[in-house]
Amino acid sequence: MLLRWLIWCCVFGLGAAQAAEPELLEPEKAFVFSARVSGLEAVEVRYVIAKGYYMYRDKFRFTLEPALLAESGPQFPPAKIKKDEFFGETQVYRDEVRIRLPMRSGTPVDRMVLTAVSQGCADVGVCYVPLEQKAELRLASIGAFTGDSGGSDVGLSQLFSGSRDVTPAAGAGAKGEDTLIAELFGGDTWLLIASFFGFGLLLSFTPCVLPMVPILSGIIVGRGPHMTRTHGLLLSGLYVLGMAITYALAGVAAGVSGTLLSAALQNPWVLGAFALVFVVLAMSMFGFYELQLPAALQSRLADASNRLHGGHFAGVFAMGVLSALIVGPCVAAPLAGALLYISQSGDGVLGGSALFAMALGMGVPLLAVGASAGALMPKAGPWMETIKRFFGVLLIAVAIYLVSPVIPVSMQMLAWAVLLIVCGIYLRAIDPLPSTARGFERLSKGVGIITLVAGAAYLVGALSGGRDVLQPLSGLRGAASGPATAAHAVNFQRVGNLAELDLAVRAAAGKTVMLDFYADWCVSCKEMERYTFTDPAVQSRFSAMIKLQADVTAGTPEHQQLLRRFKLFGPPGIVFFDPAGREIQGLRAIGFQPADKFVVMLDQALGAR
Amino acid sequence: MTPARRAVIFAAIGGAAAAAGYGFHRWRGTTAASTTDSSIAEILASRLTALDGKEQSPGDFLGRVLVINYWATWCGPCREEIPIFVKLQREYGDQGLQFIGIAIDQADQVRRFAAEFQINYPLLLGGMGSIDLSRRAGNKAGVLPYTLVVDRSGRLVSGLAGGISAASLRAQLTPLM
Repeated sequence: MLLRWLIWCCVFGLGAAQAAEPELLEPEKAFVFSARVSGLEAVEVRYVIAKGYYMYRDKFRFTLEPALLAESGPQFPPAKIKKDEFFGETQVYRDEVRIRLPMRSGTPVDRMVLTAVSQGCADVGVCYVPLEQKAELRLASIGAFTGDSGGSDVGLSQLFSGSRDVTPAAGAGAKGEDTLIAELFGGDTWLLIASFFGFGLLLSFTPCVLPMVPILSGIIVGRGPHMTRTHGLLLSGLYVLGMAITYALAGVAAGVSGTLLSAALQNPWVLGAFALVFVVLAMSMFGFYELQLPAALQSRLADASNRLHGGHFAGVFAMGVLSALIVGPCVAAPLAGALLYISQSGDGVLGGSALFAMALGMGVPLLAVGASAGALMPKAGPWMETIKRFFGVLLIAVAIYLVSPVIPVSMQMLAWAVLLIVCGIYLRAIDPLPSTARGFERLSKGVGIITLVAGAAYLVGALSGGRDVLQPLSGLRGAASGPATAAHAVNFQRVGNLAELDLAVRAAAGKTVMLDFYADWCVSCKEMERYTFTDPAVQSRFSAMIKLQADVTAGTPEHQQLLRRFKLFGPPGIVFFDPAGREIQGLRAIGFQPADKFVVMLDQALGAR
Repeated sequence: MTPARRAVIFAAIGGAAAAAGYGFHRWRGTTAASTTDSSIAEILASRLTALDGKEQSPGDFLGRVLVINYWATWCGPCREEIPIFVKLQREYGDQGLQFIGIAIDQADQVRRFAAEFQINYPLLLGGMGSIDLSRRAGNKAGVLPYTLVVDRSGRLVSGLAGGISAASLRAQLTPLM
C-alpha cells in the first residue's frame, strides 16, 4: 500500500512536471517586449506575441522615469474583438502590437527608464499574471532598444484598481511571501522558541532520547538510596541544562559551516563510509571486539563520575554536555531547520536559543525520570546484553538502509536476507525448545522463526530477480503467474503512440474500446491484471470490447503524448471509447479498481452510445 | 568497569548510532527530496491574508485532501471552473476534500466575486510571491489558473495549468479520499 502511494506520488509528480507544462511559454517569450524612442516626441513600445497568445488592450500600463509621458495617454492601434463568456467583448491584440507613447514637450533627458505592465492569456485557457518589463531608453543613440524584463512586485494594484493613474506603485500590491522559516513564524521570537520547544518534546519520543535515560538513571542511582525527589529533579535539571547549552552552541556553530554538509551527504562514497562505520559499531555490539573510547577521554569520564560521587553538580552538567554530543547527530533534521533559519536571518542568537529550547523540550521526559527519583528508571541487568545485540542488528539495518539508494535492489534484498536469517538463528529459531521453556523463550523463538522466514523470502526474492524490496516475492509471482494469468486473462492489443491508437480505435468502429495505460513499475496495474481482469464478470464484459493497452514503462515522448491526450499523469489509467470512436467523457478508471466497481464501469462504457 | 555499566555505555552508543542513522535519514530525506516537494511545503507554509483579514496558510488544512487553485477574477478561464470547485467542495467536503483558492487579485474584487459565485471554500489573497512559489511547484510559466492537488500527508499529487474538467478532477480525487 505504502509502495503504491510512493509510486503514485512519483508518477503524478513527474507527470505534473512533464505532461502539463511544455506547451506553455514563459511570459517573457509569449510576449516579447521592446521599446525605442521615436523621434523626440514619443516612445514606441512593441510586443511580439506568440501564436495562440493574446494581450488585453485595457491592461497595459506605462510609466516613464522621469515622468515625461504626455497627459493624452498611449495611442493604441485598433484591436481585435474577443468575445468572452464572462467579460463580454474585450479588445485584444495578437501577433504584434505597437503602442505609441507621446512625450511632453520640454527638456528631454538623455536617459529614461520605461516600465511597462501588461497582461495576456493563451488560447489554451490560461492567463498570465501581470508582467512588468523595463527598458532603458537613451536619446543619444537612435534605433531599437531591447527590453529588459524583470519579475514585478508592482502592477497588481496598479493594474486592477481601475484607476488610470500611472504613478509607480512600488511595493504596493503584491505581498511578498518569500516564505521560509523566518516568515513562517512571522518574526515572532517567542512563538519560534515555543515551537522549537514543542518540537523537542516530540523528538523525545523518538529513539533520540532513549540512550540518555540509562545514563541519567546511572547518575541518580550513583547518588545512593538517600535520593530525594527534589535532589533528583535538580540533578536531572542540570543534566538537561548541560545538554541544552551544547545544542545551543551547536546551533550557532552549524550555521557557519552547515550548508556544506548536506551537499556532501548526497555522495555514494560518503554514504558508503557512513554505512561502514555503522557496520563496525554493530560488530562490536555483537561482541566480536570491544570498542573503547580513547584513554584520555575515558579517564576524563571517570573523573567526571568520580566528582559526581563527590557530590559536584558540575559533573552532572558535564555528563549532560557529553550525552548531547553522543546523540547529537540524531537531531540533524531539526538542526538543518535551525540552520536554514540562521542562514536566512543571520541571527545566530535566535538560532541558538531556538535549539536551546528544543533541547529543553527533549529533556522533559528526563526530568520526569529525575523527579521520580529513579522510580521510572530501568534496572541494569543481563537484558542489557540483549539490548546490545538488538542495537547491533539495528545498526546493520541502518547501514543497509543508508547504502540502498546506491546499490542494486537485488543486492539490497540479499543484504536484508543475510541480516534477517542471521537474526533468526540468533533468536534460536532452529534450536529445539526445551519442554520447560519459559514464556519469554517461546516468544523469542516465535519471533526468530518469523525473522527467519522473512529472511528466506528475501533470499528467494533476490535470487529470483525480485525488483521490489517491500514485496520480495513479487518477482516470483511475476515470473510464475504474471504472464500466465495476465496474458491469458486479457488479450490486449498494444498501442505505442497516438497514431497507432487512432488507427486501432478506427479499426474498432462499432465496438466499445477500452484503453489501459500500463507500466512495469506500476503496482496498481499489476494488481488490476491479477485481481480485477481475471474476474469472470469482468471477463464477460471484456469479450464485447476491443481492449488496447499502452505500455508506457519506457516513458518516451510518444508515451507522454498519449498520456497528455487523456490528461493522465501516468498509469494506472483506463479510458473508454464509444462505438463511434469518441472518448467517453467522465468515465475513466484511475488507480486500482476492485472487480465489482470495475464491472459497473464496464457496463456504463458498453451502454454509452 | 562493571559489566552492567559497560552494557549501559554500549546501549547508549548503540542507541546513539541508531538515532544518528534515523536522524541522518530524516536529514537526507529533507535535502534529497525533490524541489517540488520542498516547494509544496513552502506553499503550505506560506502565510496569506484571508478575506476576513486574518492570516492563514494553506497548510492549516493539512490532513485533508487539498486542491489549491491559483486564480484571479480578471482571468476568464479561472472564472469558468470556479462553479465546478464549489460543486465538488459541497459534494466531497465531508469526505475530507478541501479547496483553497489563492487569488492573485485585490480583496474587494475577490469579495464581490466570492459572494456572486457563492464560493464555499477559503480564499486567500496572494501576490507575485505566491505565483513564484507555484512556479517552483511546477507552474513553470507562472500562469492562471493553476491547480495543485495535495494528498493528506502534504505531498504533491498533481499540478495542472489551465481549466480542469469536473470529471478529470473527480477521477483524480477519488483515489485520494
